[in-house]
Amino acid sequence: MATVLKTQDLQAGYLLLTPYGERAILAVNGVNIEIFHEEIYGIAGESGSGKTTLLKTLFGEVEVPLRVLGGKVYYSFGNEFVDALLLKEEEKRRIRWRYISYIPQGSMSVFNPVKRIHSTFLDFLKSHVEGKVQEELFELVKKHVSALGLPTKVLSAYPHQLSGGMKQRLAIALATILNPKVILADEPTTALDVVAQRAAIQLLKDIQREYRNTIVIVTHDMGIHAHMTHRLAIMYAGRIVEEGPTSVILDQPLHPYTQYLIGSLPTIGDKTFRDSVPGAPPSFLDLPPGCAFHPRCPQVFSVCKTQTPELVNVDERRKAACWLWMERG
Amino acid sequence: MMKFLKEYLVPRLIQYFFVVFLGLTLVFFVPRLLPQDPIREIVGQFQQHGAGLDAKTVETMVATFRELFGLSGSWHEQYWSFWKRIIRFDFGPSFFRFPTPVSELLLRFLPWTLWIMLTSTFLAWLLGNIIGGIAGYFPGRRWSRLLDVFSVAVRPIPYYTFGLILLIFFAYTWRLFPLGGGVSVGRSITFSVASLIDILRHSFLPMLTLLVLNGVGWYHQMKLLVQNVKGEDFVRYAKAGGVKPWWVISQYVLRNAMLPQVTGLALAIGQSYSAAIIVEIVFSYPGVGTLLYEAIARADYNLIMGIAAVSILTVSTLVLIVDLIYPLLDPRVRYR
Repeated sequence: MATVLKTQDLQAGYLLLTPYGERAILAVNGVNIEIFHEEIYGIAGESGSGKTTLLKTLFGEVEVPLRVLGGKVYYSFGNEFVDALLLKEEEKRRIRWRYISYIPQGSMSVFNPVKRIHSTFLDFLKSHVEGKVQEELFELVKKHVSALGLPTKVLSAYPHQLSGGMKQRLAIALATILNPKVILADEPTTALDVVAQRAAIQLLKDIQREYRNTIVIVTHDMGIHAHMTHRLAIMYAGRIVEEGPTSVILDQPLHPYTQYLIGSLPTIGDKTFRDSVPGAPPSFLDLPPGCAFHPRCPQVFSVCKTQTPELVNVDERRKAACWLWMERG
Repeated sequence: MMKFLKEYLVPRLIQYFFVVFLGLTLVFFVPRLLPQDPIREIVGQFQQHGAGLDAKTVETMVATFRELFGLSGSWHEQYWSFWKRIIRFDFGPSFFRFPTPVSELLLRFLPWTLWIMLTSTFLAWLLGNIIGGIAGYFPGRRWSRLLDVFSVAVRPIPYYTFGLILLIFFAYTWRLFPLGGGVSVGRSITFSVASLIDILRHSFLPMLTLLVLNGVGWYHQMKLLVQNVKGEDFVRYAKAGGVKPWWVISQYVLRNAMLPQVTGLALAIGQSYSAAIIVEIVFSYPGVGTLLYEAIARADYNLIMGIAAVSILTVSTLVLIVDLIYPLLDPRVRYR
C-alpha cells in the first residue's frame, strides 16, 4: 500500500501571550499518522480535542493564530516525499485542488454570496487549469456536477436560494472538481439533518469509489465513521490515543476512552442505560500530567499520573497509547 | 420580476414622493412662520433709498409684490398656488437680482454645484473604497499604516478650514490654481479644450477639498468592513483553494464589503451636498452655495425657498437612484 500522506511528531497549536510569558497551546501534540492510497481514514474525538487543527495542518493552511511548533507533514508525489510545511505559497497554491483539497467545517458558507454558484466553481477552476476557455471550463463543471448526481440547474442559483444540504453537496463537488488524490473533510455533516447527512456521506463514498482517492474525514459522529471509514484514529487532548481498522475498534476498543465512546452508542432494541465518559474534557491550558485521560479513567494506576504513554503497536494492525496495553505488550 | 417591482420599487417611489412632499411643505411653511413680513421690508427699503412714496402707491406696491411672491390670499390658497408654481418650476422673481426669475438663477448656478459635488462624491467613494479595501486586506503593510495616520489626521478638519489651507498654499503662495470663480474673468464658456481646462483648473481645489475629506471617511469605513469580510468562510476558502490573490480581493472581499458602502453613499449624499455648498463659499465658486449665501445675506426669500426646494429634489432623487442601484449589486435583495 502506497502512503500518500504522513506526519512525523507533528506539533501544532496556538501561542498565548500571558502575563507570565508566552505559552503554547498544543492542540496537536506529537501526532504520527500515515495514510494510504484509496483509504478512507477517520479521525474521531470530542470537541476541542484538536481534530480540526490537525486537519488544517495536514492541508498546510497554517495561518495566524495557528502555528506549527514542530514536526513535519509529508505529501507523496510519485515516490518522493515533500514536506508540505516548507512549500512556498505559490507551490502550495498550485497543488491545492489537484493533489489535495479540503472541505471545511460549515462548508455551506464557502460560496460567494453575491455570485451565482457556477462562478465560484469557475474561480477555482480558472486558478488551476490553464489554456481553456470559459465555455470549456463551464462544461467541465456541469459534467462533474451531473456525474455526482446533482442537478445542473442549481449552478445558476445564488447561495441563499439553496438548502443547506444542497450547498453541502455542492461544496463537496467543488472540492473534488479536479479529482484530487487526497480529500480532507472537516465535519462535512454538521448542521445537517440526518437525511441530508446521509446524502452528503453517500456522495463522498461514491466519489471515493469512482475516482479512487484518499479521504481523511474528521467528525465526532461515530455513526459516520462506522458507515464509511476504513481506518479510524481516536484523538484525545491533542494526541492520538488509538488507531486501527474501524470495524476492529468498534468491536473491541482498547483504550478506556474509546471504550467509553463506543459504549455510549445506542443499539436498536437495547434499552439498557448507556454510560458516558465521566467528567469533562481537559483544558489545553492545564493538561493533567502523565496520560491526559487519567483523571477520567476508571482503570487508572500510578504510572498514568506521571508518564505519558506513547502510541505503540498492540498487534499488527492496531496501535494504542495506554499504559494498560504497554504492560501487556 | 413583477414581485420585485411591487415589493422593492413601488415602496421606494412612494417614500420618495412622500419625502419630497414633506420637504417642500416645510419650505412653504417655515418662512411664513417668521415674524417679519418680507414685503413690508422690501417696500421699507425702497422708502429708505429716498423714494418719496404716498400711502396709495405703497399699498399698490405691497399688493403687486404679494401677487409676485405668491403671498396673496389665505394660506391654503397660497399653498395650492405654491404647488402649481413648483410644478411649473416657477419660484417667482429674485429680489436681489430683481427681476430675474429664481428658476433662471437656479438653472445658471445649479450645474456648477452638481459638477463639483457629483464628481467629488463619486470619486471619493470609489477611491476611498478601493484604497481602503486594499489597505484593509493588508493591514500590516507600511503604506497602509501611513494612510491610517494621514486619514486620522485629516478626517476631523472642517471643510472650510481644509479648503482655506489649500487655497492659501496652492492658490496664494504657489499660484498653481486660481483663487476663486468658476472660469477666468471675461472668458465665456465654449466647447473647446481651452475652456474645459479653464473650468477644470477653477474647480480643482474645491473638488480636492471634498474629495479628500469625504474620501478618508470612506477609506476608514471600508478598511474596517474588509477586515471583517476577510475572515468570512468564503474568502478563507477561496484563498485556501488557491484562487489567485487579486481575484480574491476584488471579487470576494471588495465585492461583498462594498454593499454596506452603497447604502452609506445614499445616506451621505445629503451631507456631501451641504459640504459642497460650504466649500463653494470658501472658493467663491459660482454654485448654489454662493447663491444661497447672497440670498440669506439679502433676505431674498424667494431665492432661499427656490434653493431649498431644488436641494430637496436633488438630494432625494440622488438617494433614490443609489437605492435603486443596490439590488443590482446584491442578489439577496433582488431574488427572495
